[in-house]
Amino acid sequence: MTEGLSPKRRLALAACAVALLILLAAVLSPLSPELRAYARGLQFAVLAGALIMAVAFLVAIPLGTLAASGPRAFDTALRFVCDLFSSLPTLLVAAVFWAWSDRTLGYVCALGALRGLEQAWLLRCEIVRLEAEDDAAPHSLGRTPLLAFLRLRLPAALGPLFVSASFSVAWLSALDAALTQAGLRPHAALPTWGLALAAPHASPLCAALAAGSIAVLTVSLHALFRPPRVA
Amino acid sequence: MRAAIRRFLGVALTLIAVSVGVFWASANYVRRAQSEQLEPSPFVHLPVFFNARPIGVRELAAEAMQRIAHGGASARSAERQLARLGGAALPFILPALDSLEPNSRERVALALTPIALRMEVASREELADGAQAVLFWTRFWQDRAIDFRAASVRHLTLRLAERSIALRREDLVHVDTFALPALIEGLGDVNDVDDVARVQRLTSVLSHVTDLPVRSATTASVAEAQRTVETWRDFWALHGSEYTELDGPRRLAATFVETQYGKWLAAVLRGGLGRTRSGESALSVIRRGFATTSFLLLVGLGGGFSLGVLWTRFERRTTRIALRYASAVLGTALAAIPCASLVSLFSGGSAGLGSATCLVMATTAAWVSRHLAHSTISQGSVSPVVAAFSVSAPLGATYPPLVLSAIVLVELAFRLPGLGRTAALSLASGDVNAWMAASLALALATLLLRQTADLLRPRATASSALGEP
Repeated sequence: MTEGLSPKRRLALAACAVALLILLAAVLSPLSPELRAYARGLQFAVLAGALIMAVAFLVAIPLGTLAASGPRAFDTALRFVCDLFSSLPTLLVAAVFWAWSDRTLGYVCALGALRGLEQAWLLRCEIVRLEAEDDAAPHSLGRTPLLAFLRLRLPAALGPLFVSASFSVAWLSALDAALTQAGLRPHAALPTWGLALAAPHASPLCAALAAGSIAVLTVSLHALFRPPRVA
Repeated sequence: MRAAIRRFLGVALTLIAVSVGVFWASANYVRRAQSEQLEPSPFVHLPVFFNARPIGVRELAAEAMQRIAHGGASARSAERQLARLGGAALPFILPALDSLEPNSRERVALALTPIALRMEVASREELADGAQAVLFWTRFWQDRAIDFRAASVRHLTLRLAERSIALRREDLVHVDTFALPALIEGLGDVNDVDDVARVQRLTSVLSHVTDLPVRSATTASVAEAQRTVETWRDFWALHGSEYTELDGPRRLAATFVETQYGKWLAAVLRGGLGRTRSGESALSVIRRGFATTSFLLLVGLGGGFSLGVLWTRFERRTTRIALRYASAVLGTALAAIPCASLVSLFSGGSAGLGSATCLVMATTAAWVSRHLAHSTISQGSVSPVVAAFSVSAPLGATYPPLVLSAIVLVELAFRLPGLGRTAALSLASGDVNAWMAASLALALATLLLRQTADLLRPRATASSALGEP
């Protein structure tokens, strides 16, 4: 959608969208308790989304790199762990995280680590694919293998991670809404967009605002996190 | 062949790991969730995976004896515990009587009176005072110690199982709960009227020695006798260690067996994947829900992925900018708006499997198309057939959990009798057997689908296009 825009303009567009949402929340918040809940949901979505992305990158980049370029046992272990988590519904895993962690911070970090594992596998596959396609390129450019990896291959392989990261807020809200609808949220009600979207007595205005905001945030992140083009 | 074995071992190993993971998950969920809404598991007092100090009848009897010997307020509960342990505790209590001081010895001997009455070896008058009771139990052990041997009790049980004679029943009653392991083992399978008669004879003794009113009537049918046997096996799974001495290898095994996970595994090995809270076999719950979930999974993973790939190809190849933008906006919106909202919109009286299938497919297609449209994975020529079959390729780790989540949601919202619904409801209600069975069936279905897709995938093209090593 934003192919023609420069990185600076994309960043500005994303910042404008987030600022607009924050402004909207600030204006609407005093009007009614439902809208106040929406504003608090925005706060949670932005903060938790950012934390999930940060934790996921912290987990994914070292793990994915090691699995692709390190010992084979590491690759096998990562595949095993990914198989393990991908064979269960995220909804049920999240329900357990939600019950397991005493604090919301722990829950969000656990979700970030889970997302990091998925992204580590994406990164590992992308690095392996690039290595298979273009094995001689770094040497022909006269770089050391490590430098070539860090300057060329790793940035080129980060594409799927950026795409995946852009869906973090949507993913979090989807999980939250699903947990609410399935009745698997054991903690006291945290005013999130998941509640606004799926709680039985949620206000339609609040639900529409939340859904629209998720779409705006996702499109903004999608525009911001376009895969880098490496020569 | 070697590759097939490796795949099979991989699936088996993953399933074992999944079983450990989901068991830990359910134990944590039950502990942390609002406990007043959950009926606790009967094994909740046990450690989850490792029991560093398993407790058998020797430890329980010694503890009860010490408390009774010391007297005081806690002696009353210890007396009840000793009466419940019954004949199984006698080999540890009676030889130790001499080591107690006279007053304590009399207190302990008197506490054994309910056991003597149940064993029909003495009347209340014979055990009226402490000195008499001590004398009685000392003589009893001198005369009858030889009867308290596992081999002789097993022999007695076999004889009672074969034919009903009052004397054989009395011999077993005389050793009381010491005969429990042999009696439970002797129940065996119930297939015909001879088995029903055997169960009737053995449960009569079981009911007498445990004071539990669970016995098979003389007119019971085969099904009724089977239910009675199941009840006694459940009792043994729960209380077996309290009547068994944990020594040597048995103590070592008990560090695993006497755990919540060990008890679940024992129930699985007994057949039928254990029983749910409603008394139904977990296997029959799985059989009922497997068709719905398999269909949704197949359509979600297979159909949704293929649709996502076709969508991406259309978006990339179309020359009309407006159409391209519209496709991108629709895809992003579908991927961004939580499935739960769409489920809420569609969940009405007429919503059924058709609506559920469409929702799962649309959600999957949107997620996959957004990934393919913007990731470098698919740049170049990707055949939709290759991509659709390559669910074990990179995206295979990302979207199956989401598809499974969507399946759980639609099954819950549209009241479809599937595994996802069973898993979610049993997790929420703390029904461990149902939760484990549904989760493992879901995991098995996903793993098999991925393995099948990986086997069917055209190899040469797939590896170059989708980043497989």
